[in-house]
Amino acid sequence: MTLALDRPQPGEADAATAPVRAPRHRAQPEKIAAGLTLVALVVASVLSLVSVDISLPQMAASWSNAARFFDRVGVVSFPAPGELLYLTGLTVGLVLLGTLFAAFCSVPLAWLAAANTSPGRGWMGLARFLGVLARSVPDVVFAMVFVLMFSLGTLPGILAIGIHSIGMISKMFADAIEQIDEGPRLAIRAAGGSSSQEFCAGVLPQVLPSWVATVLHRNDINLRGSVILGYVGVAGLGLEMSYAFKSLNYSLGLGIALVIFMLCVVMEIVSSAIRVVMLGQSPTGRGLGDRLLRRLGVTGMKADASLRPWTYARVRNVVWGVLATLIVVGSVWICDIKWGDFLMVWSYLPETAAKFWPPSFGSYTAPVMLAAMGETIAIALAATILTIVASIVIGSLAARNVAPSSRVRSGMRLVLVSIRGIPEIILAIVLIVVTGLGAQAGTIALAIGGVGLLGKLLADSLEEVKPGPEQALTAAGATRLQVYAGATVPQGMTALVGHSFYMLDTNIRAATILGLVGGGGVGYYLLNAGQGSRYDLVTTIVAMILVTVLLVEGLAMWMRRVFR
Amino acid sequence: MTGTALAAEPVIDVRGVTKTFGETTALKDVSLTVARGEIVVLLGLSGSGKSTLLRHLDGLDRPDTGTVTVLGAAVSRLRGRSLRALRGQVGFVFQQFELVGSLTVLENVLSGALFRVRGPRLGLWGYRLDLKLAALGHLDRVGLLAQSYQRADTLSGGQQQRVGIARALMQNPCILLADEPVASLDPESSAQVMALIREIAIDSGLTVVCSLHQVDLALSWGDRIVGLRHGEVVLDTATQGLSKQNVMEIYGRVTTSTGELDLQTFTSSRDNRR
Repeated sequence: MTLALDRPQPGEADAATAPVRAPRHRAQPEKIAAGLTLVALVVASVLSLVSVDISLPQMAASWSNAARFFDRVGVVSFPAPGELLYLTGLTVGLVLLGTLFAAFCSVPLAWLAAANTSPGRGWMGLARFLGVLARSVPDVVFAMVFVLMFSLGTLPGILAIGIHSIGMISKMFADAIEQIDEGPRLAIRAAGGSSSQEFCAGVLPQVLPSWVATVLHRNDINLRGSVILGYVGVAGLGLEMSYAFKSLNYSLGLGIALVIFMLCVVMEIVSSAIRVVMLGQSPTGRGLGDRLLRRLGVTGMKADASLRPWTYARVRNVVWGVLATLIVVGSVWICDIKWGDFLMVWSYLPETAAKFWPPSFGSYTAPVMLAAMGETIAIALAATILTIVASIVIGSLAARNVAPSSRVRSGMRLVLVSIRGIPEIILAIVLIVVTGLGAQAGTIALAIGGVGLLGKLLADSLEEVKPGPEQALTAAGATRLQVYAGATVPQGMTALVGHSFYMLDTNIRAATILGLVGGGGVGYYLLNAGQGSRYDLVTTIVAMILVTVLLVEGLAMWMRRVFR
Repeated sequence: MTGTALAAEPVIDVRGVTKTFGETTALKDVSLTVARGEIVVLLGLSGSGKSTLLRHLDGLDRPDTGTVTVLGAAVSRLRGRSLRALRGQVGFVFQQFELVGSLTVLENVLSGALFRVRGPRLGLWGYRLDLKLAALGHLDRVGLLAQSYQRADTLSGGQQQRVGIARALMQNPCILLADEPVASLDPESSAQVMALIREIAIDSGLTVVCSLHQVDLALSWGDRIVGLRHGEVVLDTATQGLSKQNVMEIYGRVTTSTGELDLQTFTSSRDNRR
């Protein structure tokens, strides 16, 4: 192609005939299909909103309910201080051990699942499949099974949290391994290192920060989720709360709910402090540990040249390390794990497994179960659409490049952080108990909880778009709103679609669990089947949940690819 | 459009503009007048203040001191709607094209007409038919009619820059500002894009201010060269009869084989002066 030919000739170009000569706008069939699916999902979500009966008069009525409720119940009450302390320790210890169990198990699984470290395609597929399986089955289902196999106590809870968490941690970890710089690995291989040396010296140090961040994040999630485990008999605050509500002792139940809420906030603060200490590149000397050390009078010490000097940073790290070990030992002690169960379980295993097979609808009919699953999906869809609408407004205003002023941005960020502090399951339980609503309360709880996550993700994505196109539109005389619609939104669209499907994915699982506490849907039948020892029905319900979750996950992957 | 009377009328009048960003002085007492229909090249190295000067002309930056008058309006005092109206009159072409990659070429071109419509627009919906026809016409003008409905990020760099030019044309501007329009392009695409800008400018009687860093290109392309160094105007002359040697002498530099100002000699001599 020569220069002269390719260059547009001003004389030849005829503006009048340009529209005629322009190619017809032809969208790809796959894009049309994906667009139609998206439209169908939105329509389904709106219909779900109607079917769940979320409406303003309904809300107003439920608030008068709430007022009556508090008149009757009076103030909240708490367990005795000693018992409260023990229960809190038990809950935290159980969650910590479960998360740690998952953290260590996910290292080999991630090694198998990451394309660049996996020993073979078969191993990779297997590891990915196990991860998806662990992620898709709610931890409460694992807990139901383990409660059956182990003696009551903490072990079922630890294992349930652990196995469910492996799914997410190993996936994030494998993704991180795939993104590493291959140089250091190559260097170690070139120096004659074995493949395990390669992994420990070349891969692990690079992915450790992301591993720590993921594990901490998962620990927060697990603490929020631990409440629900109490409903199927795992010891801790959740169990006491479920007892309180079952015996209609609402003031005690609400008191425990309040304690759990505070606990989640504290854990969030602690884990963000740990994140700063472990991941912060430049120690500021102003962290919690630093202040502690200064009070103890520890500053840098002189040392022999052959030994690693006890620098300030090293002392601080060792203190944190010892503290962490003590906490883990304390957790093991307070959880009072019955190690013997690990030996006994093998003798129960065939017997237990037999109870779950073959799957059946029990005393219900297939339409009843499908309708229940449908209600769960409706709750998830309705909650997701409410979350998306609210998040687009709040998340946009929380983005630096969209917010009209920095004050608005900080205000919105604060709103998002506060919402994230509330465990949605607690919100749902309180709403259900207080307003007496079922599916509506569950939907609203999920929708509110979702805004904290989706709003933040959206705000971050909008702040990450290329600023150039926004500036180009400003330079062409566009208004702020026009710049937002013309440059910011189109660039952030992929992220919005991706995050929204992630939200739907999460909500489907959460909606299942909501049923356990009276939030409507298939969860109610799951709890009943578990408590009524109809394990064949449990299998059926879990299979339905699994299929739904996998469908949504597949749909999400397809959408992300098409709307790239 | 004839006559010397029009040519004498300044459309851009910059007087004593100084602009600092924190510690660095981007523009130091810069004055510049551009008459209607002139094709001016801003010449200088990166960091010499070319982009900052161009951004002042479109009201994207505001001067610390001095005044910027464009098309008879004091840009630095304009706010809100009147500022947007002025920006609409001034087309801007960027070094990195700054297209929205996930939108079609046509949508990108149409976004140049946003100042004519009220309210936000998502996608192709909501643009009037005459705007769409005009956009297709401009795409034809830059030779990309066939790519109208492709995603912008599927085009080559040179093509993307031509879309950027079509977007600026969509504004029906009186003035076209171009900030290093070919610095990210290969030589062949560069030649096409620069030729296109000049053709359009002459056809439509546009006033053009274009920043460049290649002396050869500036000499062969522009009518007038304004040289900037450390935020000061050090050269302002017609290109006619000017040789590369002249420019280099004014800059006090030796030419390099590539025809670009030699960055190394430039910086080292600056350090010597300190």
